[in-house]
Order: sequence, then C-alpha cells, then structure tokens
Amino acid sequence: MSVQVKYRIGKSVGFQVLTILLSVACVIPLIFILIYIIQAGITKINWHFLTNLPKPVGEIGGGIANALVGSMIVIGVASVIAIPVGILCGIYLSENKNSKLAYWSRLCVDILQGVPSIVIGIVAYFWLVKPLGGFSALSGSAALAVMMLPIIIRSTEETLLMLPDTLREAAYALGMPFHRVILKVIIPCGISGILSGVMLSVARIAGETAPLLFTAFGNNYMATNLTKPMETLPHVIFTYATSPYNEWKDLAWGASCMLLIFVLVLNIFTKFITRKWKVQL
Amino acid sequence: MESTIVKAIDYNAYFGDNHVVKNVNIEIPRNSVVAVMGPSGCGKTTFLRGINRMHELIPGATAKGKILLNGEDVMEMHPIFVRLKIGMVFQRPNPFPNLSIYDNVIAGYKLNGIKLPKAEKDKIVELSLSRVALWNEVKDSLTKKGSFLSGGQQQRLCIARAVAMEPEVLLFDEPTSALDPISTSTVEELFHELKKNYTLIIVTHNMQQAARVSDKTAFFYLGELVEYDETKQMFTNPTDIRTQNYITGRFS
Amino acid sequence: MTQFENEIQAVKVELVSMWHLVESQLQKSRNALFNFDRDLAREVVLKEKRVNAFELKLDRDCEDIFALFCPVAVDLRFILAVLKINNNLERIGDIAEGICKYIIETDRDFDKSVFVKTEMAHMFDDSIKILADTRISFEKDDTILARSIFKRDEVLDTINSNAMARVSEIIKEDISLMNDALYTLSIIRKLERVGDQAKNIAEEIIFYVEAKVLKHTEDASVKI
Repeated sequence: MSVQVKYRIGKSVGFQVLTILLSVACVIPLIFILIYIIQAGITKINWHFLTNLPKPVGEIGGGIANALVGSMIVIGVASVIAIPVGILCGIYLSENKNSKLAYWSRLCVDILQGVPSIVIGIVAYFWLVKPLGGFSALSGSAALAVMMLPIIIRSTEETLLMLPDTLREAAYALGMPFHRVILKVIIPCGISGILSGVMLSVARIAGETAPLLFTAFGNNYMATNLTKPMETLPHVIFTYATSPYNEWKDLAWGASCMLLIFVLVLNIFTKFITRKWKVQL
Repeated sequence: MESTIVKAIDYNAYFGDNHVVKNVNIEIPRNSVVAVMGPSGCGKTTFLRGINRMHELIPGATAKGKILLNGEDVMEMHPIFVRLKIGMVFQRPNPFPNLSIYDNVIAGYKLNGIKLPKAEKDKIVELSLSRVALWNEVKDSLTKKGSFLSGGQQQRLCIARAVAMEPEVLLFDEPTSALDPISTSTVEELFHELKKNYTLIIVTHNMQQAARVSDKTAFFYLGELVEYDETKQMFTNPTDIRTQNYITGRFS
Repeated sequence: MTQFENEIQAVKVELVSMWHLVESQLQKSRNALFNFDRDLAREVVLKEKRVNAFELKLDRDCEDIFALFCPVAVDLRFILAVLKINNNLERIGDIAEGICKYIIETDRDFDKSVFVKTEMAHMFDDSIKILADTRISFEKDDTILARSIFKRDEVLDTINSNAMARVSEIIKEDISLMNDALYTLSIIRKLERVGDQAKNIAEEIIFYVEAKVLKHTEDASVKI
C-alpha cells in the first residue's frame, strides 16, 4: 500500500473519531444538567410536596400543588386554543401549496416562530391583561397558544406534504367531497406526525416563563378561576430561585425536577405515539 | 341500450394557457377495452382525467367541450356524482394505508359515510375481490392493512375498490407501469374479465400492452387524437403516417 | 388461460379444420377419379374457394398475432410454422382441384387397370394417409409420427420415379390407353407433390416443437 493511500485512510479514521467525539461532547452537558437537577430536586419531591400549598417563609414544608394545577390548566387551555387553529392552518398550507395566502401565512408563521417569548408576553400584557383589567390565567394561555401555533402549523404541514398526492387522488376518484377527504383520509394518515407536533409544542411551552410573568402572574393560593391570576411551575421556579431563603431555593429545585420529568415524559410519549400510530405508506 | 357509453365532443383541456388536449372527438363503445397511447406529454392522461373530472382538481386546469356519459354531459353534472359513475385506477397502487384490506374495498362507501348492513358489505367485498382475482389470495387476511400486500396485489385491490362502487366506466392511468412483469400480466388478464361488466379506458405508455389488451386503440400526439380504430387495424395497417412512425419506433 | 393462449389455440383449431377440409378434398378427388364422378369433381373445384378463404383467414390471424402479441420462443416458432403449413395445405388443396379438373375435362371414363398398374391407386391412398398422419402429429405435437412421414414420402418418390417406365410400357402394350396413361402420369406427378408438401409440413412440426431445422438436410440420421 502506498503512503498516499495510508494517509487517506488515516484521515478518514481521524474524521470519524472526530465526529464521534463531538457528538459525545454535546451530550455531556445535557447529562450533567439532568443529573444535577435530579440530584438536587428528587429528594424534595414527595407526596407532601405535591399536594400542599406553599408556606410562608420560616415554616417547614410547603408544596407546589397550586403551581401543578395551574400549569395544567394554563397549558390545557392554551392547547384547546392552539390545536384546532394550528391543525386547520397546517391543512390549508399543505392543500394549497402555491396560493398567495399560503405564501404569506407561511411567512408569518416563520416570523412568529422567531419572535422572542418575552415580546409575546408584552403584547399579551397590553392587548389582554390591560383591557381585561388585571392578570389572568386566560391571558397566559393565549400567550402560550400563540407560541404553540407555529410549531403545530409547521409540523402538520410538513407531515401532510409527505403524504403522496396519489392518496388524495384515490379519495377524490371515489367521489369523496373535500371535507371527507381531509377528515377521513388525510388526517388519519398523518395523525402520528400531527400528534407528535402537538406534543412537542406542549413540551416547548411547558417551561415558558417570560410570557407568564406578564399574564398569569402568580398566586400563592389554589386558584382555578381562569380570569384570576394563577400559579404555574415556571413562575414558581422563577420566584423561589430568586428569593434569598434556602428552603424556597430547595422548593425551586423540586419544581424544576417536576417540570423536567413532565417534559421528558411528554417527549418519550411522543416518540411512542409516533411509532405506534405511524401509518405505513 | 345504446352501444356508445362515453362520447367526447370537441373536448379541449388546458393548464393555464397551455393547450394540452385539442379538439378531441371520440366514441367509446360499451363493454369494450379502449387503449389510449402516445408519447409522454401528448395529453392522453389529461384527457383521461377529464372524463371523470379529475383534471380540474389541479390548480389552473380548465376544460371546454362536452363529454357525454350515456348521452348526458358530465361537465354539467356534479363532479362527485361523475366520479361515482366513472371509477379510476392510478399509476402507482394507492390503497389507503390506514385501512384494512376489507375497508379498502368498501372505502367508497365507508369514507363517504354510506352505512351498509354487514352482510351487504361482506357481499360487496367478496364480489369485488373475486372480480379482480384477489379473493382467494387475501380472504384469510382481510383485516390486515392494504400495504401488507405486494405491489401487484395492491393494484388489484385498488381496482377492486373502484369496482366496488359499481361504476359504468373504469379509467386506468398507466395501471401497470409500477408493476413487475408477472403482476402486469395478471392485471392485463383482468381487463378481459372486467370488460364483461364495465367499459375500460386504459392509458398506457406501453404499445405492446395496448396491442395485447384492447379492442380499440386511440393514438394521441401533441394533444390531438391522431387516429382511433380497431386495435388490429391500428397495429397492422395504421392510416396515419404519425401512428405508423410511433408504433414502429421510428419517431423523431 | 390467457388471452394470448386463447388466440394461439384458436389458430391451431382453425388450421386443423382447414386440414380436415383439404383431406376431404383429396379424398373426394380420389373418389371422383375412381368412380368417374364428375359432379363430385365439380364440388371439389367449388370447395377449393373455401380452402383459399381459410388460407387468407389464417394469414390474417397470424399477422394479427404478430402485431398484437409479439410472440417469442415456442409461440413464435408455432406461428411461423402455421404460416408455412397454411401455405403447404393450400397447395395440396390446389392439387386436389387440379386432379378434379382432369376428370371434368376428359369426356370418357378412365381405364382403372392403368391406375393399378402404375401403382397410382396405392399412391393416392398413401398420400391421403400421410396427410392425415401429419395432421395428427400436428395436433398432438408428435414428432416421432412426423419423422415417420419422411420414410413414407420416399415410397411415393419411388413410385413417381418408376412411373415413366410403367406408363411407356402401358402405351407400348395398348396405344388406345395412351390418354389414360398420360393423365395417370400427371396425377402421379401431382401426388408426388402432395408427398413433398407433407414432408415440408412434418419439418415445420419438428421445427416448432423441437426448434430443429431439418430443411435441406439430406442426412437421414439427423432426421430420425
């Protein structure tokens, strides 16, 4: 073997090793963060922590029950707003690839995706909180829904574009009207992609703090009224972590850990759904 | 019953300003197999899709002229009604991937929301699958997904799906170009069976296929219907020099 | 059965019925000759048109099969063979007609002793049998039977080559039989052609069944 060929083989091996090293390098920080948060937080999590309201400073114990319930409600309402709008918009974009409206809405969706969450929070503050006369969970949900939209729209569109045109033609050729083609053929065939988009968007907004600071604000008590301020997990972490008391900082670690578990479970669930409901084309 | 089932009168089709089918006049006899052949881009597929008004689904596509089905102009009917009367099978097998084989056959009823009693459905499924010579192959796996079948079987499943709607005319858009030779000959044999109950119009790139399966052949060139005659006549003694050049492979 | 197989089968059936017709033409011309039945002879001449119609129809069918189905391998050889056999049979039909025309144009009965002396009677029966056997070998794709035709054709050839001498003997013995003897000679010449055609047909049968070309091979060992 000539020296040149050996040199080439050496370069190839070197490059392979480099790619492996770099991919390991980007996993390491993630693993450290996970380990640290779980170490710090897992000990705080117990039944008491999950079911009790926060206590004033100085008292032992206290939990995040209100934040858990609040987060669920805010995310749930945001999903109710964003999912139908997002999916329908995604369907429109995939069915009318070349229309003017599709071009502009695609552009808007892309821009929306790039808008910082704090900006959305401010806008929600001026458009919803101010006119409605006070912080409310509903305005928080609205802000989060706006953040969910681009992800749902894009993932729905991408999924449906992957479906072959022949599928639509097959449906039309059987004399199906447009709405049945969409509801009975297009959506069922793309359901796994659409659902995974929805799940990812939920996971994405679960940890958003900035918009909630201006909208849902926070509440030390259990609240279920949508028009009143409501506590959420990210907000609880924010307020406790920035407080000067150590017990509260511990609570923040516990809440972080909860949030992390929630997002992880959602991600795993998404993967599972995608695999399970995947329609083999 | 009148012997002509489909009749095109001065049919023209356009994509935007592009005139792809020019003044086509043709009469399709009932219970026959008519092959439509021609080089790529000659408008044969567009013409076929015009018959059941699938052409207009494409943005910017328009059509002029008349297409009579049993003397009634399909351009005046509702497209959905037309497509129930004129079924279509496509180039690539396209069973609904989310449905079982059974549901695929009755997809035309199921997905259109037509409720049928179970016995009726069973009957339709068995009859349709038998007509496409697939019943014996799949009768034990009716609950499996359509994509479980081989390419040739999938295409026959798609034919069964069209047949299940009891259309009068079946349109085939290059039905075997994605299939292997064995599946191709199985599907070709089907045409002879199917023409007992339906009228078949088959677009094909494959001249030999047109020769083998059809009673009459139409030759399209540059959007025009150049020649339309008995297949035997067409392949032994075509009248138009363009047809002659095409079928002998001397096309330039 | 596929459409193509149906077409091939139809051609085979068609050719066999043409064969039956030609055989009956030959048989009838023999009967007309031996019974001096002019009406039967006229019937044969009329029916020759049907043989010709068969030929045209088979030609057209084969053309269609070539054009529509592009036959290959055994099917290709079969259709090629059918085209040639078709031609051979039509010739045999012509021969039967030619014999009957002799009967019509002569004004008196032939002397049958000439038929026997020249072995023409024997030859006529043989050629009819040979024709029937080639048909059977065609129907059954029986190449052994087809090969037996070559031997039997040689018998006809021998009779043919002896015919000249025998005819001149007959004329020498009795000049009044000259007319009969000359007609008989012509008929023998024609029957020899029937044998040749049958031999060609047998070669075609072997060609399409075994893909062996026997034409113009004089070596007897190859033919067996």
